[in-house]
Amino acid sequence: MNLSHKIFAWLFICLFLGSNGSADETTLTNNEKGEQIFSLHVGQIFSDKCNACHGADQDEIQGELNLTSLAGLMAGGATRDDLLLPGNPEKSFLLDVVSWKDPDYEMPPKANDRLTESQIQKIREWIEYGAPWPDAATRQKYVEAERQKVRTEAGVLVATSGGLSDDWTYRRYKDEDIWAFQPLATPTVPSGPEGQGKPKNANPIDAFIAAKLAGAGFDPAPRADPNVLIRRASYDLVGLPPTHREVNEFLLAWKKSPSGAWTDLIDRLLESRQYGERWAQHWLDVARYADTAGLSNDYERSNAWRYRDYVIRAFNDDKPYDEFIIEQIAGDELADEQMRERCTDEKAFADSRRSGDYTEAEVELLVASGFLRMGPWDPAMVKTPEARQLYVDDVVNAVGQTFLSTTMRCFKCHDHKFDPLPTRDYYRMYAAFAGTQMAERSAPFMSSESTDRFEDGEELVQRLKSFADEKVEWLENKTSEAADQWLAERGIPKPAGTKAELADIPDDQKPPRHIGLSEEEKGRLKVRQQDQWIWERRLERYRPMVQSVYNGPTPKKLNGRKLRIPEHVDADWNPECHILSGGSLEAPGQAVTPGVLSATRVAIKEAPADDPYGIGDDLHGRRLALAEWIADDRNPLTARSIVNRVWQYHFGKPLAGNPNNFGGSGKKPTHPELLDWLAGNFVENGWKLKRLHRLIMSSATYQQSGKHSDIDRIERVDADNDLLAMFPNRRLTAEEIRDSMLQITGELNLTAGGVPVMPEMNMEVALQPRMIQFSLSPAYQPSRTPEERNRRSIYSYRVRGLADPFLETFNQPNANDSCEERDVASVSPQAFTLLNSDVVTDRSIALALRVENEADAVVARIRRAVELVFARTPTDAEEKKLLKYVQDMEDYHAKTPVKKKDYPTSISRSVVEEFSGQPFSYEEILPVYENYVPDKKSADVSAETRALADLCLALFNSNEFIYVY
Amino acid sequence: MPTMKICSRPISTASSRREFLYGLGASLGSIAMSSAFAKDINQPLANPLAAKKPMHAAKAKNVILLFMEGGPGHMDTFDPKPKLNELHKTESKNDRGLAAGQYQFYVGSPFKFRKVGKSGIEMCDQWQYMADPEIADELCNYRGCQAESLNHPEALFHMNTGSRLGADPSLGAWATYGLGSLNDNLPGYVVMTELALPQGGSKNWSNGFLPAFHQGTRLRSVGSPILDLKSQPNKSREHQRMALDTIGFLNDQHAARHPKHAELAARMESYELAYRMQMEVPGVVDLQGEPEYIREMYGMNQKETRDFGTQCLMARRLVEKGVRFVQIFSGGWDSHDYLERGHASRIKSVDQPMAALIRDLKQRGMLDDTLVIWTGEFGRTPDNNKRGGVYSIGRGHNIDAMTMVMAGGGVKKGAVVGATDELGAKAVDCVHPIRDFHVTLLHLLGLDDNKLTYFHAGRYKQLSQFGGEVISELIG
Repeated sequence: MNLSHKIFAWLFICLFLGSNGSADETTLTNNEKGEQIFSLHVGQIFSDKCNACHGADQDEIQGELNLTSLAGLMAGGATRDDLLLPGNPEKSFLLDVVSWKDPDYEMPPKANDRLTESQIQKIREWIEYGAPWPDAATRQKYVEAERQKVRTEAGVLVATSGGLSDDWTYRRYKDEDIWAFQPLATPTVPSGPEGQGKPKNANPIDAFIAAKLAGAGFDPAPRADPNVLIRRASYDLVGLPPTHREVNEFLLAWKKSPSGAWTDLIDRLLESRQYGERWAQHWLDVARYADTAGLSNDYERSNAWRYRDYVIRAFNDDKPYDEFIIEQIAGDELADEQMRERCTDEKAFADSRRSGDYTEAEVELLVASGFLRMGPWDPAMVKTPEARQLYVDDVVNAVGQTFLSTTMRCFKCHDHKFDPLPTRDYYRMYAAFAGTQMAERSAPFMSSESTDRFEDGEELVQRLKSFADEKVEWLENKTSEAADQWLAERGIPKPAGTKAELADIPDDQKPPRHIGLSEEEKGRLKVRQQDQWIWERRLERYRPMVQSVYNGPTPKKLNGRKLRIPEHVDADWNPECHILSGGSLEAPGQAVTPGVLSATRVAIKEAPADDPYGIGDDLHGRRLALAEWIADDRNPLTARSIVNRVWQYHFGKPLAGNPNNFGGSGKKPTHPELLDWLAGNFVENGWKLKRLHRLIMSSATYQQSGKHSDIDRIERVDADNDLLAMFPNRRLTAEEIRDSMLQITGELNLTAGGVPVMPEMNMEVALQPRMIQFSLSPAYQPSRTPEERNRRSIYSYRVRGLADPFLETFNQPNANDSCEERDVASVSPQAFTLLNSDVVTDRSIALALRVENEADAVVARIRRAVELVFARTPTDAEEKKLLKYVQDMEDYHAKTPVKKKDYPTSISRSVVEEFSGQPFSYEEILPVYENYVPDKKSADVSAETRALADLCLALFNSNEFIYVY
Repeated sequence: MPTMKICSRPISTASSRREFLYGLGASLGSIAMSSAFAKDINQPLANPLAAKKPMHAAKAKNVILLFMEGGPGHMDTFDPKPKLNELHKTESKNDRGLAAGQYQFYVGSPFKFRKVGKSGIEMCDQWQYMADPEIADELCNYRGCQAESLNHPEALFHMNTGSRLGADPSLGAWATYGLGSLNDNLPGYVVMTELALPQGGSKNWSNGFLPAFHQGTRLRSVGSPILDLKSQPNKSREHQRMALDTIGFLNDQHAARHPKHAELAARMESYELAYRMQMEVPGVVDLQGEPEYIREMYGMNQKETRDFGTQCLMARRLVEKGVRFVQIFSGGWDSHDYLERGHASRIKSVDQPMAALIRDLKQRGMLDDTLVIWTGEFGRTPDNNKRGGVYSIGRGHNIDAMTMVMAGGGVKKGAVVGATDELGAKAVDCVHPIRDFHVTLLHLLGLDDNKLTYFHAGRYKQLSQFGGEVISELIG
């Protein structure tokens, strides 16, 4: 380890000594008290709030008042000389001015610059004590004495690795603003409301909730009805509604034993494979999962799907969360370490690594490291150092937000404005990733992974690629023939040589670029060449490769379309890292070594005493050390972070309001003791999520009704339902709506895992041209058969530059930013989608066909449709009204013809060439539609079915379907 | 078109309607975040897009942003650089800094420049309609803006959302968040693109972290103007009404079992708005009613100007109807090569329509409070590289200098503000980052960037990210 890099100003603040001032403070004389107040407060107020106009610039002093010296203050300004009468605050006009008592003299003049009450009080006290104006050395003495006190009325000091200035380093914090950095408390579980015949709360969650509720004078809501509970639990754990049959079975079991029925239900749901599919979606929201890289080219991340399936497996297998963390941040380091042990030398290691000679367990680790490849990134038009910085900044922020609920971006350019996070710590974490390079790596498929549909998929991509290959070849032949002819006409022999040699030939000795091609053809050539790359990348989807990283020097050139481990990786390379002031590469400041967030006061295990938060600067193992520190039992941010998220996904609202930012500017936890208790309990019991689900769902708080007898008062006192006097309802998420419709129609294909599937999306959007660098991205083609299309939404192809309009309309988050909480606003485009779109119309027809199949009479069919969508039987009023509707619709459809839908097998594209501004057109093939198996459409069914489908559509549009209680 | 309410049933039996998703400014931001419960259940449900008073006296009520995707060359449009023509094809000494690297030779503009109008504002000879004194003397050319990202999508995101990351609310979203819309039956923020979406796609008109009401609604030039606006082809408007009534019936039954649940009513209301939009939107996008001389003026009868002209005319109609913010994307400005042909054809495609838009707004008395802005995501370099050994007569991306042209909405008339150096490499006078342009735009709309904030992910966020200053030189 290079000790010369260690130039940290470590603070050794003794946190056990003195809390509210030391003993000799009481013995200060009045003059000394005045000096102290001036040194600590008043001097600063003058310089922050007044001197800009009154003294900082000696040539431009406003109102002839100079506040940079006592003499200046005593002399007063142009109009008054009674600003300061030492010992007599009431007569000192200064106090009137800063209190805005005299409308003609209100200082500072801007409302948002006004002094606070406590600042005014400090000035008052200073005058009372005689208004002394100590010299700089004396002031410094008071400042330093003050810094010995950990806690003063201004707040508490937090020991960190140190800011860029002493002012920042010795900044004081309010306890409530640094709650997240404090060690987990071990709160006593409240004893609960005893007496009045109420039992003590069995579940500690209820005890914490009840204690606060009782404080506000509310009773908790009663337990919800069992049919409400099964729907709530099903959506929460598996993201799908219970079937009518499951509801009935549950109701029967409930009659025998409510608690037994409930426990069995939760066990069944947690064991179902759909649990992982539902909860992985939450994780992917935070991790920003997508199958493409976004930005200029939106390049395919061909094997990202393996990471998606890893996350699903991790949830289903109940992988301990600490392991889950380590694998995602350092999986490649672990896999390589294990491989290195098998290899005789570095050469053998490098060879095995390139050929992907990993065990299944090691592959799993490599796939997990795909987390480090989730952010949008494209180095097009960006020089390597900046492209590198964009990547590392993104990863550092992603790791901070995801695992530590800390927005790292906030202290990239300067010490954190609010939190005890020095910019040094940002760059220490940055240094932990400074040797992390992106690469698609070789890694064989595991037995736990699905390679279904590889053959068909590959064949289609190959076909599309061949089409582009042929077109390129034709155009290249044409230009090469024209070039030959150009040379022949001038009697110049055909040049030969390396690329560099060819470039040296004078311009007049070689044929013009793209000679022989029309403008139209030049444009086409560019499009086809780009297509070749696109399909090349997509073919890699079917190769034993993984989107991962490795440790090594930054390659000279970075190109987002192909990132590989180079043949020779300098294993001894050691990146130099600096604090970049203002985040600028061109302004490197102090050197830093890798390290972690010092404000947590969780030291790295086995770290040297002079650098407890340092990781050691070997190139390999930096991330592992960081990951182990994050996953350390003592790390207060980590456990709070995940427990808070899990709580949020059960209750629709987190305990601490900003799951990606626990800093002082974020929302404070509504139940800090409960959060700490849950976090501590979670860690003690092995970081197991399924146990946490059971704990939460077995609470009365989770099982309570969404209705409350005292609703009006709750709305007044606790409008945000922070106290959880009742269960908060929620709208279904985009994926839940789609998956539920498919389950209800019977179309849902529950096959797990594998390469992304392409559901049908709005045809106008699917065929919509989309600009990428130099070209247009190819059209979106849905999977060929309904079985492939009708998989759960988590398996859908996720393109950063082309959101599925259905999912996007229902607030599927933008994959460019980590989503801590989804928007649920009801907007009109949602109505258009559910009422008018092809995809929902198709679902309504599918449901109508299912219902016709399962029941004969119209009334029975209506009943069945309601059962399937609402998991209950219709009321008499509903049945009557819906029957009338279906009959009216039968009349309508009997009179209204329908046209058949055609699918195009190719489209013509027209583009303005980016460089030349000339329009050109070209043909794109859509082979999927050549033998496409469409869903049943309106034209394929009878008027009777269409009428029934109208009813089904209404059910899918209803609030009862869309909301969970 | 009068906004008839064809509502055959009362909107909802759940009378507890209130605003619960919308809050203006910092103090209400947290309410907006917590959509589950509101402060007062008995307040009537406010339309989240209802028109609001500006924070200070506004100069502009509406904005029409003409976005030239790809980055027009300032020295080939509105910012003449005779020195460049002297240096044409000589070795470039222009240092572009660490991130961008070096270009090989200077490129003079293929176009001649002249002063036009009484104001003597400069533009190249490709601008013919814009050069009409009546139009030229309305213009304010700003030459001091600087961008930050060399890449199209990041630069587009930055100009459109104030952030390079592509996840923040766009200008139009902030404008409707601050001011609401003036028409209950139309979206407050409308976007029109070419057939191909610009790089970065819909994230350029995203609501970001603002509630979804503020998302730009894309009016599509081909097919359905709004996605799924029309019923399925076999379903009539009467059919739609009956469907809505049936859904309403189901929702009323449901609401009776779940009283005090305001989202239910709000969601039903969003269906009724959708129904009204189905009526209103086709009328706005149907240009058949526009007289022939207007269509002619906008260039709708010529191939080169038809698309942009149609969109400009649509923009005027939308603003007339009370749409707050209209944005039109027009691509193809990325002339790395074939500069003369490329820029000439791009200028031709926007020259007549843009001039017509300004003239039309003026003759209707709408220009005073409608701000028209013409800009790209960055400017272009004075120099370029050889490609395959051959001089490419084009330009690279330049983040240090660009040009914007504005009209109406309270900006100076016939004015040139700021300057670039003699080669157009860098802005040197009245230099401001994009955020200051954004703050100025809000200021003209009567909004204060420091007060127009929204609580998200632990802090109050604003368009400028961390504050900026008003470019007072632009304001008339």
